[in-house]
Amino acid sequence: MDRIYKVFLLSFFLFSLASSPLLKSSEAIDAQKLLEQVDDNLWSNTKFISGRLIVDNGRKIRTLTQDTWMEGIDRSYTHYKSPAREKGTKMLKVKGKLWMYTPRTDRKILIAGHLLRQSLMGSDLSYEDMMEDHKLSKSYSATFDSFANINKVRCAILNLTARDKKTTYQTRKVWVNPEDKTVLKEERFAKSGKLLKKILFEDYEIISDRKFPRTMVFKDLLKENTKTTYKFDIIEFDVEIPARYFSQSSLKR
Amino acid sequence: MNWSIAKKNFSRQGLRASLNVLVTALSIIALIFMLSLLNGFQAQATKNVVNTDVGGGHYRAPGFDILSPTEWEDHTVKTPEILMQLDNKDKAEVLVLQGQLYPNRRLYPVQIRGISMEQSLLKLPLNNLKIFPKNIDDLIPVVVGVKMAKKSHLQKGDTLTLKWRDKSGAVDAKDVLIVDVGDMLNPRVDEGVLWLRLDHLRFMTDRKGEVSWVAVQNYIGPVPEFEFHPVELLMADLLALWRQDRINSKILWAILMTLVCISVFNTQMLNIFKRQKEIGTLMALGMDSNRIVKIFTLEGCLAAVWALVVALLLGLPFFIWFQGVGFDVSHLSESTLPIRETIYPNYQLMEIIYSLVIVFILIVASSWLPVKKITRLDPTMALRGRAIK
Repeated sequence: MDRIYKVFLLSFFLFSLASSPLLKSSEAIDAQKLLEQVDDNLWSNTKFISGRLIVDNGRKIRTLTQDTWMEGIDRSYTHYKSPAREKGTKMLKVKGKLWMYTPRTDRKILIAGHLLRQSLMGSDLSYEDMMEDHKLSKSYSATFDSFANINKVRCAILNLTARDKKTTYQTRKVWVNPEDKTVLKEERFAKSGKLLKKILFEDYEIISDRKFPRTMVFKDLLKENTKTTYKFDIIEFDVEIPARYFSQSSLKR
Repeated sequence: MNWSIAKKNFSRQGLRASLNVLVTALSIIALIFMLSLLNGFQAQATKNVVNTDVGGGHYRAPGFDILSPTEWEDHTVKTPEILMQLDNKDKAEVLVLQGQLYPNRRLYPVQIRGISMEQSLLKLPLNNLKIFPKNIDDLIPVVVGVKMAKKSHLQKGDTLTLKWRDKSGAVDAKDVLIVDVGDMLNPRVDEGVLWLRLDHLRFMTDRKGEVSWVAVQNYIGPVPEFEFHPVELLMADLLALWRQDRINSKILWAILMTLVCISVFNTQMLNIFKRQKEIGTLMALGMDSNRIVKIFTLEGCLAAVWALVVALLLGLPFFIWFQGVGFDVSHLSESTLPIRETIYPNYQLMEIIYSLVIVFILIVASSWLPVKKITRLDPTMALRGRAIK
């Protein structure tokens, strides 16, 4: 009788374990593969984005409108159209260097090295954050953490650890919807594990067979009451970008 | 003979001569006071900069420029053996990096300075850092200066977040604890500066054994991979300011001396005008006009001598008293000058002697200039009191 009881208990334990959502999920989720799928969804060789950068510093809200052309991870060109103060400002990123042209000074400045870590026009993004356009699956190795709901969407939480110690954020956490391979939320951490930035990806729409967020909300968690919303009004993938856009002559008036 | 006549004439001038002597004496006192106070101010400010930052010069990592904060992280090197061997009282290792502090969750860019706790070359109020272990616990202990604390609304015991980059460029952040708010005396090491233990900063940024510079007591010759910056170079801006101050003080000095000379000149003019009949009589009796000029000039010299005596009698007790109480310059705490405490005059004997000699010469010249016209006087007109109109 005692033996039958033990066998029953063991069977029950094994059944419970096998049917637990945690085990089931972790079996189902290949974190690295999911991250690659996320990249595949978002990534394209060239992109054109016309958008608004809404900078809320807690006291004042400023809206900057801009057009951006991006090619791969190395090259991008941004032209600011408003407000009047920033109108005509241009930024050219080529590999690790960023040139900025301001019409008021009629000068182009090289923003390199540590200058890239400064805040971009008072926003919650640094120049580096703004320039960042690399494949997460290439820079980070992912592990599955757990499931959590965001706006009633069941998301897999992936822990990302940088492969290179030169990567700005050594660890990140992303909330990915495994169904459509979209990222709904991201957290960026300091090396010590302190949470620094939170990014929300909202208003997903299908654009050229991809699900792309129309809105990204950046929050620097070390600051109080600040947020920067990046709204993409027009997004075009795999567009033809003239080579002159990525030459320094494009910065001239 | 001339001297005794001059003495007699001078003493007979009464109140006029006394006032002249008093004005000159007060001007001399003001002059010495101004120069000595400026000396004291500059000496104390220089001492503060040397004691808190410069030492006897810096052996700096090549290319390091304190005015280019975005490049600080690119210019750190390991302390060479030759400098490591120096005694702790003769060297201070310093590592300077950029950071971002978040007081009240607002961004405040800071200069993170790590300094070795064993050094005794630089006099900084960092004793509260010494009690912490080499390993960092949950909170990083830091010290800030009073100006920095005031500007960023920080006080002892506050905890807030500090963000920085490690050597590879990875961003890192941790909470820091303000273990002390110290009076740095020197705004260069106070405003926007966060003081840490060197071992902590090296650990935080993966810069084992690295420094931005090593402050030394004395130059020990060329050190490979390091550039020596002498005190004159490190304090070039301050020394230029001192030079400008000297020029400004000379302008004040000139104004003061002009007033003294005008006073003496005016007295002599009045003397000649009022005493033309006396001059005419002397000339009529056969006295050489040059001798009369000498007598009048000697009267001026007597005024200068008496002015020096009165300046000594009045000034000495004043200077001794002032040396005790000093001059409170706490109102300069908002300025960028490296001085906050009471300043004391620094009396330089040779400078005072030179000044007094110049004052004496100027007074004699001012006494002689108006009286030289006596040589051109017509004795008959002078006797009638109509030679000078």
